[in-house]
Amino acid sequence: MAALPPSDRRPWRDRWSPNGEWVLLFALVLETAVFSAFGRNFFTLGNFFEVVRLSVELGLLALALTPVMITGGIDLSVGSMMALAAVVFGAAWRDAGLPAGAAIALALLAGCAGGALNALLITGLGIPPIIVTLGSFSMFRGIAEGITRGAANYSNFPKALVMLGQGYWWGVLPVQLPILAAAIAAYAVLLHRSAIGRTLYAVGFSPAGARYAGIRVARRVALVYFLSGLAASVAAIVYVAHLGQAKSDAGTGYELAAITAVVLGGTSVSGGRGTVWGTLLGLFSITILQNGLRLAALPSELTGVLTGAVLVLAIVLGRLRSSPRARTSEATTPMKNSQLAILCAVIVAAALLVAGTNIWLVRSLRPPGAAASPAGSTGGRRPVIAMMPKAKGDPYFTSCRTGAEEAARETNVDLIWDGPTGLDPARQNEVVESWITRRVDAIAVSVENQAGISTVLRKARERGIRVLTWDADAAPDARDYFINQATPEGIGFTLTDEAARLLGGRGEFAIVTGALSAANQNQWIAFIRRRLAAQYPHLKLLDIRPSDDDRDKAFAETQTILKVHPNARLIMGIAAPAVPGAAEAVRQSGRKDVYVIGLSLPNLCKRYVHDGVVQSVVLWNTRDLGYLTVYTAARLTGNAIPAGATSFAAGRLGTIEVRGDQVILGKPFIFNRANIDQFDF
Amino acid sequence: MRLLEATAIAKSFAGVQALKGVSFELREGEVHALVGENGAGKSTLIAVMTGALAADSGTLAVRGRLLSPNSPGLARSLGIAAVYQQPSLFPDLTVAENIAFSLERRGLWRRVDWKARTRQARELLARAGADILPGRLVGTLSMPEQQIVEIAKAIGADARILILDEPTSSLTGYEVDRLFAVIAALRGRGAGIIYISHRLEEISAIATRVTVLRDGEAVATRAVAETNRDELIRLMVGREISTIFPKREIPQGGVVLETRRLGSRAAGIRDVSLSVRRGEILGLAGLVGSGRTQLAETLFGLTPADSGEIVLHGRPVRIPSPEHAIRLKIGYVPEDRRRHGVVGEMPVAENTTLANLRAVSRRGMIDRACECALARQYVDRLRIKTDSIHAPAESLSGGNQQKVALARWLAIAPEVLILDEPTQGVDVGSKSEIHGLMVELAERGLAIIMISSELPEILGMADRIAVMHGGAVAGTLSRAEATQQKILSLALG
Amino acid sequence: MRQTMRHVMLDSHRREISLVAAILAIAAVMAIAAPGFFTWGNERDLVMANLPVLIVALGMTLVILTGQIDISVGSQFAICSVAAGVFARLGMPTPAACLAACLAGAAMGALNGALIAYARVPSIVVTLATMVALRDGLRWVTEGAWVADLPRTFQWFGRSQAASEGIAMAVAALLAAGIGWGLRHLAAGRAVYATGSSARAARLAGIRPAHVIFAVLALTGALTGCAAGLNAVRFNQVPANAGLGLEMQTIAAVIVGGTAVTGGRGGIVGTLLGVALLGIIGPALTYLGISAYWERALQGGIILAAVAMDAVRVHAREHGSLAAERS
Repeated sequence: MAALPPSDRRPWRDRWSPNGEWVLLFALVLETAVFSAFGRNFFTLGNFFEVVRLSVELGLLALALTPVMITGGIDLSVGSMMALAAVVFGAAWRDAGLPAGAAIALALLAGCAGGALNALLITGLGIPPIIVTLGSFSMFRGIAEGITRGAANYSNFPKALVMLGQGYWWGVLPVQLPILAAAIAAYAVLLHRSAIGRTLYAVGFSPAGARYAGIRVARRVALVYFLSGLAASVAAIVYVAHLGQAKSDAGTGYELAAITAVVLGGTSVSGGRGTVWGTLLGLFSITILQNGLRLAALPSELTGVLTGAVLVLAIVLGRLRSSPRARTSEATTPMKNSQLAILCAVIVAAALLVAGTNIWLVRSLRPPGAAASPAGSTGGRRPVIAMMPKAKGDPYFTSCRTGAEEAARETNVDLIWDGPTGLDPARQNEVVESWITRRVDAIAVSVENQAGISTVLRKARERGIRVLTWDADAAPDARDYFINQATPEGIGFTLTDEAARLLGGRGEFAIVTGALSAANQNQWIAFIRRRLAAQYPHLKLLDIRPSDDDRDKAFAETQTILKVHPNARLIMGIAAPAVPGAAEAVRQSGRKDVYVIGLSLPNLCKRYVHDGVVQSVVLWNTRDLGYLTVYTAARLTGNAIPAGATSFAAGRLGTIEVRGDQVILGKPFIFNRANIDQFDF
Repeated sequence: MRLLEATAIAKSFAGVQALKGVSFELREGEVHALVGENGAGKSTLIAVMTGALAADSGTLAVRGRLLSPNSPGLARSLGIAAVYQQPSLFPDLTVAENIAFSLERRGLWRRVDWKARTRQARELLARAGADILPGRLVGTLSMPEQQIVEIAKAIGADARILILDEPTSSLTGYEVDRLFAVIAALRGRGAGIIYISHRLEEISAIATRVTVLRDGEAVATRAVAETNRDELIRLMVGREISTIFPKREIPQGGVVLETRRLGSRAAGIRDVSLSVRRGEILGLAGLVGSGRTQLAETLFGLTPADSGEIVLHGRPVRIPSPEHAIRLKIGYVPEDRRRHGVVGEMPVAENTTLANLRAVSRRGMIDRACECALARQYVDRLRIKTDSIHAPAESLSGGNQQKVALARWLAIAPEVLILDEPTQGVDVGSKSEIHGLMVELAERGLAIIMISSELPEILGMADRIAVMHGGAVAGTLSRAEATQQKILSLALG
Repeated sequence: MRQTMRHVMLDSHRREISLVAAILAIAAVMAIAAPGFFTWGNERDLVMANLPVLIVALGMTLVILTGQIDISVGSQFAICSVAAGVFARLGMPTPAACLAACLAGAAMGALNGALIAYARVPSIVVTLATMVALRDGLRWVTEGAWVADLPRTFQWFGRSQAASEGIAMAVAALLAAGIGWGLRHLAAGRAVYATGSSARAARLAGIRPAHVIFAVLALTGALTGCAAGLNAVRFNQVPANAGLGLEMQTIAAVIVGGTAVTGGRGGIVGTLLGVALLGIIGPALTYLGISAYWERALQGGIILAAVAMDAVRVHAREHGSLAAERS
C-alpha cells in the first residue's frame, strides 16, 4: 500500500489524546514528581514493579470494562464475579479435590457463565445493563456467600499457584505481570486494531446506525459482557494467588474502583469513546496515588478525596479543550459566564463552609492529645514503627491508636498508622508491601487474613524489618512476636460462659455478627459452637444475622430476631457496632427479659449498661493494647528484648510477661455496671 | 402590516460566519418561503427568531416591538411558533401534555388542570384535522402524526408567526394537502407563515413570496408569481444547473433481484412481486406508511420475510439479517440519515468502511493505511466536501453526509443498491450530484431501487415505477406511461 | 375508544401492578408460613427501618426521572448523620440539628448539581467522585469516632418513642405525598418529566433543563439530610459509617419501581412499591428461616427475575400487538 499523503494521516491528537488523556498524563507526571520528592523510596525500580503488581487485578477489570463502556453499557457485577470465581476455584480444589489446573478451568468457566447470563439478559431481553448488573452484583456475591456460608476460607494452595501471585522472575519482575501485559495487548488489539473493535465503537455511538451498517449488534454486545465475566474470573485467580486465599469477600468494591479508572481514562459513559491507553493512564494514576501516599506516610483517606477531585477536574479540563465545537452543536441555554461563575463560587463556598465547620466541630469534640503529632519527619533518625489496624475508622482501632500514640511519645519513635479504609481484604498486603519499600524499622499488623498476609510478612522479615502481630495473629514464622490480648478461643469461651451464666445454662439465644464473611467473627463463632457442644447442651444458638458493621442494620436485624424467635432470651453482638444496635432494639421492644451481651467498646455501650439493657461487654483494654504493641516494637528495634526473655518492662503497664513468642496483655475483661465507668475508650 | 422584521442579523459560531447581516420581513396573511442550500443559514435565522440563539448584531421586531434580548419565552409570548423537521416533542408524555406544555402560562408552582388539557388537545387536534387520542404517548406516534401534534401546538398558541421547517419531508401527498389546508386557514386569520422547503414545487403552490439565502446572506426576495423554478435554483447555487435530472438511457441486462409474493407480518408487507435488472433504476413510489421502507428493510434483512421468496440471479435466497444482505452484495442507504445512514461521531473514513471492514482488514485486523486510501478514493470520487477524512461525519453538511452514507455501500461493490429517499433534506447542488451518481452506477451494471416521495424525482430518474399501497404493490408503470396523476391514483388505492 | 383508553392506562401502570402482585404473593406466603409477620409492631418496625431508604428514594426518583443518577447519597447520608449529631452535641435543639443536617445535605447536593448541570460533567462521574471523596473525607476527619454523649433530648426529640416515630412517619408520608402530588399536578413536577424525556424539547418549551437538574440534585441532598436526621434521632449516638450501600438500595428500589433509567418515565407510587418489595424480602426470608448466607443471592435473583419477567411481557405484547395491528 502506497504511503498516505500527510493530510490523510490520522492526526496525532486522534491517536493519543482523543478524549483529553493529556490531562491525565499531566496528572500522572505531577504525582510522580511530587511523590519522588516526598515519598521514601518511591522512585525506584522495585517500587515501580510493586505498583504494577498491585494493579493487576484492578487492571484486568478496568480493561474488561473499557469495551463494555465503549458500547454504552456498564457492568457492576465484576467485583462480585471475582468473589464467585474465587470461591468456585477454592471449592473445586479443596472440597471436590480437583487438581489446581482443573479448578482454574472451572473458575474461568464460572466467569464465562456469569458473563453469559448478563449478556443474555441484556441482549436477549433488552433490559438496560445497569439494571441487569445491579441484580447480578447482588446475586453473584450472594451465591459465593451461600456456597461458603460466609466463613469457608480456602487456602494452603500449591506452591506453583502461590508463585503466580507472589513470586518474582529474576528477583524483580512480578510473576503476574505477563498476564496483565497479555491482557493489555489483547484488549488494545481488540479495540484499536480489529474489525470487531471498530464495530464496538459504532455500536456505542449509535446502536441503530450500527445495525443498519450490517453489524450484528446483539452478538457484539453479548461478546463484551462475556469477556468481562471471563476477565473477572482471570482477575479472581490472580487475586487468589496473590492473597493465598479464596473467600466470598474477594474483590469487594472493585467494580467502582475499576469504573473510576476507566472513566478517569476518558472513556465516555454514554458510549463510543475510550481507549485502552486512557484506561491504563487512569488505572496507574489511581494506584500510584495510593502507593505514593503510603510511601509519603500521608493518610490513605486522601486517596478518595484526591481521586474524586482529579476525576472531576480531568473531565472539566478535557471538556474546556473541545468546547467550541460542542457549544455550537447543542443549543445551550443562554447563561452568562459571570452568573455561572458566581453560582459556582457560592456553591463551592457553601460546601467548604460545611466541610470546614464539620472538621472544626469534630476536631473540637475529640479529647485533646488524640489528634496530636502524627510524627513529623523532623529531628535525627528516629525509628519508624508502622502499625496497621484491620480497618481504619473502626472505633475499636481508633481507641487502640490513642494508646499507640502515647507509647510512641514515651519511647521517642515515629509512628505510622495506616490501613484499609474499606472491606477489601487485599488492601492489608498492599500497605505492608509499601512499608517494605519504604523500609520502616518495625511493622505491627492486626491480621485480617492469616493465609494472605503471612507471605508478605515473611518477606518483610527477610529484609530485616521487625514484625509484630497484634489483635489477631499471622503464621508463627511470619512474625517475631504476637501481642496476645486474647485468643479467639478465649473470646469465644468467655462470651459463651457469660451467656450461660446469665441464662442459667438453659435457653435460646441469637448472634448478630459483623459482615458474614468477616474472618475474626467466624473464628469466634466456631469456638462458641464448640463450647456450646462441650459444656452447655441446653443452650441453643437460634440464628446468626449479619450487621455489616452497620449499627442501623444490627438494630433492624435484632428487631426481626426478637419477633421471629420470641423465645430468644439473649442477643450476643460480636462486632463493635452490633452491641449498641442490638441494645437499642431490645430497649425499644420493651422486653425486659432479653439480655444483651457482646464484644464492643465500653464507650459505645456505657449508657446501655447503666440502663440495664446490656449486661456485660467482653473486651480487653484496647488503649493498653495499642500502647503495648508500640512499646514492644520500640524495644525490639532497640534490641532491648533479648531472645528467650520471659518478661520486660513496658512503661506504665509495668512488667509484662513474654511466653515464647507471645507477649501477653492479659485475659479478656468483662465490663459491667460496676466497673465500666472506670474506662474511657 | 409588517408582522416581523429582521434587520441585518449577524451570527457566528467559533469564527464561522453563519449569518452575515440578513434582513427579512413577514407580512400579515402571507406565506413567505425561505429557500437555500443546506448550510445557507436558514436554521440559524430561525433559531434567532425563536430566541433559541442570540444574534451577535442586528435587530428583530415583532409588530414594531423590538425584541432585545430575545428569548424563547418572549418569542412565544409574541406569537412566534416553530415546527421543526425533527419534531421537538416529549416521547414519554401524552399528546395532551405535549400540547399543553407550550400553551400554558409559566410559573413552576402552578397547578396542572388535566381535564382542561385533554379538552384543549382534543379540540386543537380536530382543528389540525387529525384523529389522535390525547392520552397516547407521543413516543408511540408515527413521524407524520408527531408533526401534526406540533402543528396543533402552533394553532393552540394562536401563532401569529408560524415557522414551518421542512414540514412535508416525511408527509405523503394526502397529508401535505391537509397541511396546506391548515396553512390556508391560518393565513385567513391573518397569521404570517415562514415556510422552509427544498421542494420548490410546493413553494409555488403555497407561498406568496420567497427569499433565497446563500452563504449567510439574503440574496433575493421575489414574489412567487414573478419567479420560476430555474431562477430560484440559480439564485440558490449561484449558477445554472443545466439538467435537473441527468437520466440517460442505459441498456438493461438480465434480472438481478426478484421477489415472488414476498411478505412479512412484522414489516406489514404482503404479496410483493417485483424485479429489477442490471442497469435499471426501479422507482418505488407510494404514501408514507405504504410499505416502501418496510419492503426495503425486508430485502436488507432488518425485518426478515416470512412468506414468499427472494430470488437473486435466479437462485432463491434467504436474507435473515443485514449481514447476509451484505454478503449477497445488497446495499441499503436508509431514509433516516442521522440515525441510520451514518454514525455521526465517527470519522468519514471509518463510516466509509463500516459495512465492509473485511475489505480493509487482514485476519480480522484493520489495515489503517488501506482504509484511509479507500476513504480518500471515495471522498474524491463522490466529491465529498470535508476538511479531512478523519473529521467526524456529523461535521459535514447534510448532502455530504448522504454521500458518505452512499460511499459506505459503494465500498461493498454492491450488485443491488436500495436508496431510501436519497435526496431528502439535501441541498440542490448535492442533489443533482447524487442523481448523476445514480446514473453512473446504473451504467456500470448496478440494479438500483430508489424510494422517493418526490414525484418529479421518481419520474425523472426511474426506468420503471412500482407504486405501493397498504403493504402491497398496487401497480407498476413504465417510464413512458408514468405521470404524476397515474402514480397518485395508484398510491391512493 | 374507551377500551383503548383503558389499555393506555393499564399499560402505563404495568410495573406498579406487577409489583403489587409480587408483594401480595410474598404476603400470601407469609400469611400461611409465618403469621407473626403481620403484627402491628412488625409493620411499624419495618416502616421505621426502611424510612431512610424511602425518603432518599423519593429524591432519587426525581434524579432518575431527569435522566441522571446520584450514587453519592450513601456518603452524603453519613456526613449528614454526623452533622446532626455534632450540632446537637453543641447544644442545638434536636429539630434544629436535623434542619442543619438537611442544609448540609442540600449544600452537597447543590455541589453535585452544579457540576452536572452547569459544568456538564456526566452525573455518574460527578457522583462517583463525590461518593469516594465525601466518604474518605469523613473518615479522615472523624477517624471513625462515633458522636456519643449526646444530650438526653436528642433521642426521639426528647419525646416518647411512639410520638416521635409518628412524627418521622408523618414527615415521610408528607414528603412522599407532596412529591408524588407535585410530580403529577404541579408545573414544576411536569418540568422534571419533560427534562428527562427530551432536554431539547424542554428547552424549546421554555424550561431550563440545567436549572431543573440542579434543583433535583440539591433537593435529593436535602432529602438525604432529612433522612439522616430522622434516622439519627432513633438512637442516642451517631456512628461515622452510616449509609454504607444506601445508594445501591435506593437505586434498586427506584428501578424496580419502574422508573426508566433513561429518564422521563416512572413515578413515586412505583418507588414506594419498590421500597416496600425490597424492604420486606429480607425480613420475610428471616421469618421463613432461610439462612442469612443465601439472602443476598435470593435478593439479587428476585430483582433479576422481576425485571426479566417484565421485559418478557413487553416483548410478547409488542410482537402480539404488532401482529394484531397488521392483520
